[in-house]
This record gives sequence, C-alpha cells and structure tokens, in this order.
Amino acid sequence: MALPTFELHRPTTIEEATQLADEYGDDAVFHCGGTELLLVMKLGLAPYGHLIDVKPISELRGVIADDDLWIGATTTHRQIEQHAEIRDRWAGLAEMTSTIGNLRVRNVGTLGGNLCFAESHSDPATALLAGGATVESRRGGETVRSIDMDDFVTGPFETALRPGELLVGVRVPRLPDGAILLHRKIRFHERAAATVAISIRVNDNRIEHVRLAVGAVGNRAGLVADAGSLLTGQPVDALAANAIDDLSHAAVATGRPVADAFGPADYKAHLLRVLVRRTIAEATALGMS
Amino acid sequence: MSTTVVTPETPRERSVTGAIGSAAVRVDGAAKVRGEAAYAGDLRFVGMLHAAIVRSSVTHGRIVSIDVGAALAEPGVVTVLTGEDLLDFDPYFGHAVRDQPILAIDRVRFAGEPVAAVCALTKAIAEAAAELIEVEIDELPYVGTVEAAIAPDAPLVHDGPPRPGSYLGLTGLGDGTSNVVFHQEIAWGDVEAACSAADIVVEGTYRFPAVYQYAMETHSVVADWTANGLTVWAAAQHPFLLRAQLAQLFDLQLADVRVVVPFIGGGFGSKSYTHTEPLAAMLSRKAGRPVRLVIDVSGSMLTSRRHDMVCRMRTAATGDGTLLARDATFHMNTGAYADNGPRVTFTAIEAACSPYRWRALRCDGSTVYTNTSPAGSYRGFGAAHVQWIGELQVDEVARRVGVDRVALRLRNLEPRGGPVRPDARPLDADLLGDVERVAKAIGWDEPLGAGEGIGVALGLMPGGARPVSSAEVRCDADGGVTVRVGTTEMGQGARTVMAQIAAEQLGVAADRIRVDQPDTATTPYDSTTGASRSTTVAGKAVELAAADVAARLLAIAAEWWSVPAVEVVLADGWAGHGSRRATFAELVQRGFGFSGGELIGRGDVRSTPDGLLPVFWEVCLAAAIVAVDRDTGEVRVRRIATVADVGRAINPQLVEIQDEGATLQGIGVALHEELEWADGMLVNDSLLDYHVPTTENLPDEMICVLVENGDGPGPAGAKGVGEGAHAGAIAAIACAIADAGVPLDELPATPERVWRWLAPAPVEAI
Repeated sequence: MALPTFELHRPTTIEEATQLADEYGDDAVFHCGGTELLLVMKLGLAPYGHLIDVKPISELRGVIADDDLWIGATTTHRQIEQHAEIRDRWAGLAEMTSTIGNLRVRNVGTLGGNLCFAESHSDPATALLAGGATVESRRGGETVRSIDMDDFVTGPFETALRPGELLVGVRVPRLPDGAILLHRKIRFHERAAATVAISIRVNDNRIEHVRLAVGAVGNRAGLVADAGSLLTGQPVDALAANAIDDLSHAAVATGRPVADAFGPADYKAHLLRVLVRRTIAEATALGMS
Repeated sequence: MSTTVVTPETPRERSVTGAIGSAAVRVDGAAKVRGEAAYAGDLRFVGMLHAAIVRSSVTHGRIVSIDVGAALAEPGVVTVLTGEDLLDFDPYFGHAVRDQPILAIDRVRFAGEPVAAVCALTKAIAEAAAELIEVEIDELPYVGTVEAAIAPDAPLVHDGPPRPGSYLGLTGLGDGTSNVVFHQEIAWGDVEAACSAADIVVEGTYRFPAVYQYAMETHSVVADWTANGLTVWAAAQHPFLLRAQLAQLFDLQLADVRVVVPFIGGGFGSKSYTHTEPLAAMLSRKAGRPVRLVIDVSGSMLTSRRHDMVCRMRTAATGDGTLLARDATFHMNTGAYADNGPRVTFTAIEAACSPYRWRALRCDGSTVYTNTSPAGSYRGFGAAHVQWIGELQVDEVARRVGVDRVALRLRNLEPRGGPVRPDARPLDADLLGDVERVAKAIGWDEPLGAGEGIGVALGLMPGGARPVSSAEVRCDADGGVTVRVGTTEMGQGARTVMAQIAAEQLGVAADRIRVDQPDTATTPYDSTTGASRSTTVAGKAVELAAADVAARLLAIAAEWWSVPAVEVVLADGWAGHGSRRATFAELVQRGFGFSGGELIGRGDVRSTPDGLLPVFWEVCLAAAIVAVDRDTGEVRVRRIATVADVGRAINPQLVEIQDEGATLQGIGVALHEELEWADGMLVNDSLLDYHVPTTENLPDEMICVLVENGDGPGPAGAKGVGEGAHAGAIAAIACAIADAGVPLDELPATPERVWRWLAPAPVEAI
C-alpha cells in the first residue's frame, strides 16, 4: 500500500519541535530516520497527518567520546558502527550496531529513532541496558532531564517521554578497566527471538563485575537483577553449573517471554536460557584473555 | 560460500562454431544491470489509469451488499468494478477447472479474494477510494485445511461439478459432491500382499508446507481494451495460454487478443496461466482506457502459492534391503480455486512412483478445495512435494537393514532403458552413474563433524510438458538474425540459450542474434514456459528454424557459385566455398535481386519422435551435509551437491546458476518458509514475517555436478534443467537432518520444530 499523505515539518530547534507537537497533538509524530515508522504508516497502522523531522535539530546531533560516551539522538547506526572511538573503547556497542537490520537500514535509521519507537526486539535497548546507559531528554522551554535506560522503555512502543519531549542523546559510561561489553542474539527471522547483552570484568580468574540484560523475548528489554549476586566472585574456570542455571532462569523471569511471529513463549524461553549460557561462556573466555 | 562445477570426465565434444557449450554473455544482462529493462509495472500509456483491489476480509461468505458510492464520489476516481458488472457473460476462468470468477460473485471463498476494484488517475487515489468501499458479507462455515475439507459433511467450497477448463484431456475431475476436485492414481501389483509379506514396512504421515514462490516482480499487468481488440502487457509465463483464456472469457478471436510480455522479474511458476489479467482487461473495458494493475507482495501472496499437502506413505522391503512396494496417499490443498492443482497433483503421483524397481505400487493423489488462497505452480512441483518423503523411508529401510544408503539405492534402481511406470518413457538417463557421481562429490565416505548428518536423495519428474513449440528465425537484408520464439525470459537465461542454439546453426556469434520477449501478435505459438521445457522443446524449434534459414542461405550461395550446397560452409557470419566468400547481406540481396527482402525459417515441434511422454525424465538428485544445533534446533546446510543431468549444456554457466537457484529455494522450503493461516486468515503476508532465504542461509559450499551424456531430445542432445535440483535439494536436506538424529515428518524443519522433535521430555515450563 502507498504511504498515506502527510505534512512534513523540519524544525531546527527543540523549542520549535515541541511547539509543533503541542499544536498537532495526536495527529503528529516525531520522525528520525523512518525505517520503522514509515513501514507501519504504509501498512495503514499509524495514520499521522504531521511528521516532525527532528534531524535538522543541531542539539540532537554528534558523538562525544570523552571519559564517557554521548551519542546524539539523530546519529545513524552506520555512524556509530564506523566511529573510531566507539569501535575502540565501546567495541561491543559498535559490533551490536553492525548487526541491526541491513546496511540500508543502518544508513538511514538512527539510535534515537530506534529507542523512541521502542520495538520490543530492539538491539540497542538491550545493549545500552547492559552498558548502564542513561538517556537525556528535553521538552522545549525546559532543561534536560536524565532517565535511566531501565526506566526509559516502558512497554512495546511506549517510552517514558512526555508529549512534546524529545530524546536528546544517550550517555554511556566508561566501561570499567578490563571490562567488555558483549551483545548476542538468536535470530531466525527478520527480528531476534532472544537477545542477551552483558558487561563483565574478570580479574585474576574471578568475575568482579557483571551486568546482564535480556531482550526480544518479551515486551521490553530488562536487567537481570540477580546477575551480580549470582556471578560476582565466581571463578571463571570453575563456574558453578547451578549458578549458570539459576542465572538463565532469572533471565527468563526478567525477560518474561511472550509469543510473537518469531516464536512461541516456551521456545523463546528455552532459547534465552541457551543464549545466556553461551554468552557467559564467550564473555568470560574473552574476559580472561 | 563457494561453488564448484564438477565437469564431465570426458572432454566435451566441441561444437562446430563454439556457440554451444560456452558461457555466452546474457543478451538481457546489460539492460537489467543498467536499470533500463522495462517491466510491466514500468510501462506508461497515454490516458492510463491505476487500479486498486478491495479484498474480502471474510474467509467464506455470501456477499450481501457492496456500497461503492463514496469511492465513486472521490475526485480522480473513474470507475469501480464489482461482481454485478460480470453478469452478462460467463466470467469464470481457470486452466484445469473453469471455477474462478474475475471478481467474487455473490460469494467469497477465501480471505483476501478480490471483491471490487477501483480505477483512478493515480494509484494513491485508487487505494484511498478502495478503502471507502463498504462490503457486507454474511459469514459461512469454512474449511481451512485439507483434513477439514475432506471430513464428512464438510462445507463445500464450490457448488456443483467442476467445469473443465482449457487443460486438454484432463480426466479425474470430481463430481461436485465433495471438496475433492481431482483424483487420480497409478497402481500396479498387489500392494497389500507385498506389505504383509515384507520383513520391513516403514510407514508415516508427513506434511509439506504452503509457500510463496516469491518472484522479485509481483503480479503486474497493463490492459488496453479498444474497438480494435484487447492488448495486455503482462508478466506472464505462458502468453499463448493467457491469450486463449482471455479470448474464451470475453468471446474474442485469438487474433483480437494480443499478449505482449515485457521483461519478467522472476516467475518460478507463480506467473503460469491466468491470474490478474482478466480483471485488468475488464477494468479497461469498463473505463475505456488503459489500466495498470500492479499487485503488492501481500496481494501476490494471495494470488498464487504452492500447494500444501498431507501424505500418508509406506514403503515395504525384504530383510536384505530389496524394495518391494510403495503405497502413497496424499491430499493437495489447492485453495479456493483449482488453478494448476490437478497437474501438480498428477506430477506428484508420477514422482511418488520414483525410479526404484517396485513389485507393487499405489500412488493415489487428490486435489482438494479449501477456503484458502489459490495454489498453482512452483518450481519442481509434485516432485518437491513427495520426493523427500519417499527418500526418508528408503533411508529408514537401509538403516533397519544395516546397509549403506547409497548402496541400497544402487541395488534397487532401474538402469537406463528400464521401466519407470507403464505407458511412459523408459528411463532415459544414467541414474546409477549419477548417484555415484553425487556421492563422490559430497564426500559420502568422509567422516562427519559433530552434530552433522548426510543425505542423498533421488527422484524423477516428467520434463518438457507438451512437445508443442514453434519458432521463426529471420535473416534480414543487412544479414542480421532475429529469433522469434514463445519461450519467456524470466531470468533463467532462455533468450541467451536460444541465441546460442541459432548461432550454432548459422555460424554467427550468439551476441549478434536478437531474441525478444514474446508478443502473440508476431511470435509463433509456444505452449508454455515451464516443466524445464524451453531449451529442449522450444530450443528444438529454434534449431529447426535456424537450420531452415541456413539451408536457404546455402542454397543461394550454391546457385550463385554453381557448386553443390553441401560444399558451402557457414562460419563467422559468412558463407564460403573455396576462396569465395559472401556475407549474409550479400546472399539475401542475391536471393531477392534487390536491396531488400528477408529469409524466414520456420521450426515446428509437434510430438516426440517416438510418441512417448514425458518428453524426458528430469533427474532430481542431490546430496547434502547439514549441521544441527541441538540446543536451538537450527539447521545449517554445510555442503550440498546437485546433479545437472542435462544431456548437453548449451550454456554451462546458466546450468550452474539454475542449480544454485533451485537449491536456495529448496533451502527455503526445507528449513524456513511456510505460509500460515489463523482463523482462515493468512497471517505472515509480508517479508518481515515470512522468511525467504537470505545470504545468511547460504550453504558453505555448493557443488554442481554437470553430466553431459548427450541423451536428451533437445538441440545437440540437451534436456531441461532447473527444477529437479529443487526437489532433490529439499529431499537431500531432509534425509541429512534425519541422519543427524532428528525424527522429522514435516517441512520446513524450522529451529522450533527440530527442537521439539529432539526434546526428550515434555518441554520445561517457563
């Protein structure tokens, strides 16, 4: 079906964007890449009369790799994937980004667009959770507020943003020395059936720090709260089998699998357990080397 | 991924000119690469309107009312068509059965069936107006599966006995008292006696999926109905059958219907016969203007698909591994309309016979109507449906006997010349040699890796369809050569091969020969482009036509130089005798005594030399190694070898590409693809939810074993290729999965299914 007609607005400041969003209310939507939005509009599922393209807003633009990493909302996946500092210091993030969609999608799609669309299979959402990221947002006329990544996506296609509020950028803390960030998924269709992201540091054969996020199985990505207590202090070369079992079950409890086009709930739960086991094994092996 | 072509052990006999047996440059390649190729949807005509279809949201029901008022009132809307516009003639078409209305009349038989269409100045206006049409339908009970459709007291999809379509000589149509629209069997010997006397009987029920053929170009047509007749520019595989259907439907003479075939972006069977063309023609008739009807992917999935099937099969053997009997009963789901279902079913019956030496056999197939979208042709039909089932059972026999699976096959196969089934062509290929070649290519005796399985699977399918093709080859006054042949180029390389065949006869380079897509106004008749028949049958007609022109050129030279014609040679675009030479242009001029004129050669193929069918048996043979991830259930194809037993490769590169494409589509069917319905509605009608193989699913290694025994009935001993490998690949992959320890009885072997098949205990709750 053809894309329905709409009016395209191209504000250059957050103030203008918020003003437009307030003016058109439910008939308007922010547009930042369109790789998902335009598809659902073509399917007739999102009949917006006004698209507010936020890409011209300079405040949402750029990548700053300092002590921590700040990525502007309008940064494309391709820019992240190719960014030298990100590839060097947040290699897991760059690697994850290179698995999003396909090259055409990555050339157009943006990090902000991906997070705000809040599709439950989003790769960046899961990886950023493991990386301990926060998002920064702002409504025109107000100051920037920070939202913990775990609080940002509230459900399928739902975020904590208020009407007229824009995602400005994503802040990713510096990875602890010696830590690695790894994002893995099991994908048989267009989207993943299960996703796991882990931030882990191994020192002298002991796991010192771990943060585990799971996604794609349920309605939103989530942090496995018990990961730290189950794994911290464990010897890498003799990881207790029951710790991995407990962790994979905790992962399923966090992920809350639901049936979708990519698998029924029981199978997705099983895949998640497999993926947790495999990712821990890979991450600890990498962490040792 | 790497591809290897295993070339024949003996050097290929060189062709006279080098045109045959070479990887000639594709005649359609440059235009496609440059984006200059015009497909049906690219065509624009003065005054052309755009059409949009309103589809039923109900699976089965009676149409109560259709309110088109709001749509007609929209600015830019020119006309709207509904079933009420179809009452003053017989608006039903169909190849096997005349059962499909141009638009639903009174009753809808599947969710997604066209119930109305809008013509407007732009596509956007037409689509928006289509949304405004209100259709009220009273729902009726429906049958969504073959099991439901053949149950006693099942609701009937059609009332009354089926009316035969244009399929000449079709027998076995149903009587209208059930949803079985076609039924046939092939049988010999006493199957029950053989089974009860056998030491081993392998028995099971198997399921084969409905899939979408997924040509890159969707169903597309432009129709222009004028006082001078009907012209359609259609992405049609069989333009002459389409012409006949349109002429019958609208009571026109064949000459008053012109079908022009632009570039086609893939067919694979989906563009066989007639689909959306009658609707476009009817819209143009009503609007009085050319009408463009281009269906999107979701709509194309509802237009044609492959039959899903349920099959009960048993195979009986002695304790020493001698195959005794095969007994197969299957039901094909043809959806709401028969399309080519009876032929698909009969081909499956023939393929289920398989080339083993059975003492007794019964292959019984039925085509069943259900309230789902219509199913038609898809590459390797019939053979793809049943070969994997039979070969799984042969493997199981070998396992129980404790004999190597290749050895068991060699022991039970017919040699060349052996009977395949009564009244049919005997085996015309060296199948025994082919099995040995593919086993060698795959590394049958080499050790496997952990989690891997290996399989080899063989079969035959009837190739060539009807041996009816004509062609013309023309030599113009400037010496240029044009081939006119009804085979459609869909991407398979037919135009290039036809040029090579003509080049061989005329002694000119293939790239100097023009071969266009068919236009029924000027191209000689050809029956179909399918059943791997183009090179063999249409190619034979081209060979005869080119030889006819060559003979005329030789005769002119012979008369001119007062030498016997047999002493004149054609080479490099010249005729020569001793030191004398003349260009084709000079010969045409000499022949006519004038600067103009043309020589036209004609070639007609009307039957096989011995009158037997099929024209040839297409070998369906492949071997595969797969790796099964027992944790996730994912299956990956590590290595796959297909046999292209082509008699003679006119163009070896195109043969290899045919086998590659057939294999990749086979991987789709074996591992990924399946159309799914819920509550009578097709639910995965987009490429987000329907998984066709991508580069991620390529095998690590593909091997094409080229076999050139010169034993085909086509030009230079060629026979068809491109479908057998599809059936063979599906079956080889299935056998390899079973060898890896997965008890499969259904395709596709998706990761989830494999995981469930492997689950030792009830699945752990969440």
